[in-house]
Amino acid sequence: MNNKDIFCIVPAYKEEKNISRVVEELSDLDYSVVVVVDGGGDKTFEFALETKRKLKNSNIYILQHLINRGQGAALQTGNDFALKKGAKFVVHFDADGQFLSSEIIKILKPILDDKCDIVFGSRFLEIKSNMPFFKEFFIMPIGRIVNKIFLGVNLSDPQNGFRAMNALALEKIKISQDGSAHCSEILGKTIQNNLRYSEIAVTVIYNDFGQGLLSGKGRGKGGLKIIRDLILGKIIN
Amino acid sequence: MLQIYIALIIIAFFLGRTFWQKKNNKISRNEAIFWISFWILAAVFMFLIKRIDAFVAGLGFSATGIDVLSYFSIAIIFYLIFKIIVRMEKIEKNVTEIIRKISLKDYK
Repeated sequence: MNNKDIFCIVPAYKEEKNISRVVEELSDLDYSVVVVVDGGGDKTFEFALETKRKLKNSNIYILQHLINRGQGAALQTGNDFALKKGAKFVVHFDADGQFLSSEIIKILKPILDDKCDIVFGSRFLEIKSNMPFFKEFFIMPIGRIVNKIFLGVNLSDPQNGFRAMNALALEKIKISQDGSAHCSEILGKTIQNNLRYSEIAVTVIYNDFGQGLLSGKGRGKGGLKIIRDLILGKIIN
Repeated sequence: MLQIYIALIIIAFFLGRTFWQKKNNKISRNEAIFWISFWILAAVFMFLIKRIDAFVAGLGFSATGIDVLSYFSIAIIFYLIFKIIVRMEKIEKNVTEIIRKISLKDYK
């Protein structure tokens, strides 16, 4: 297998400080990189494009949402693009540098071994992340309860954005939740489609406290908004 | 009786305003039909307020007819707000689809 068959989808909203470093890291490992700049009005798109030109790597693709649509929407745009390009494997990777590119191969391993169709990263298995107290003991337990109620499934880390999937999962899972409720939605569609899944411990480096109960970065963020979106999603669909 | 006259004056004002807006093409035909029906219905309820009182009392409620109409209105308003939220969500999803199509076409 060629590393270029692995497409790293990087949704980026107001990440002008980090995007170049993240793209360079992924490119150095020879992965195909799909950056989806999700509006924001800063220089993220320009910096990503500049990095692509500097690296002279034809496997870096820069897409842009003209207005902010949310992380879930950006990921689905990336997924659609990867499918069009014939991706065999896809990894969702945050643009803020909080995940380690060295762990991509680890999260992909159960898929490469054909034991799973989708693998979710977790901050609560053997590796300890420096998660803020409020998030660890308040937001995360609520997230687990919500997933248990809505999906009937227990994952240790329901809101982790680091995940990998094969082409089958990529085709089956269409993200309709534009905001952060996509994490629960992906999990729900994994169960609905009888896809094989597992959790792998990953490291998360917190640069800032991205998501609170009411606040968050970008469209559809914040714990309560996620619950609202899940309820509305059930009604609309 | 005075409050009924006041209510009817208010209804007449809004009815007149609706006709004026339609005449000046500020609202569509369907909107005009909806609002004219709404205000005429409100006027009819005002004329029938005593009968509504009696009807509500006959059902065993302690509230007066006007209270029941108010509760009913609030329920309708909540329902309409819910409908608007659902409609807005659908519009948001359509916007996302358009934005996605553009970005998939114009990638660098």
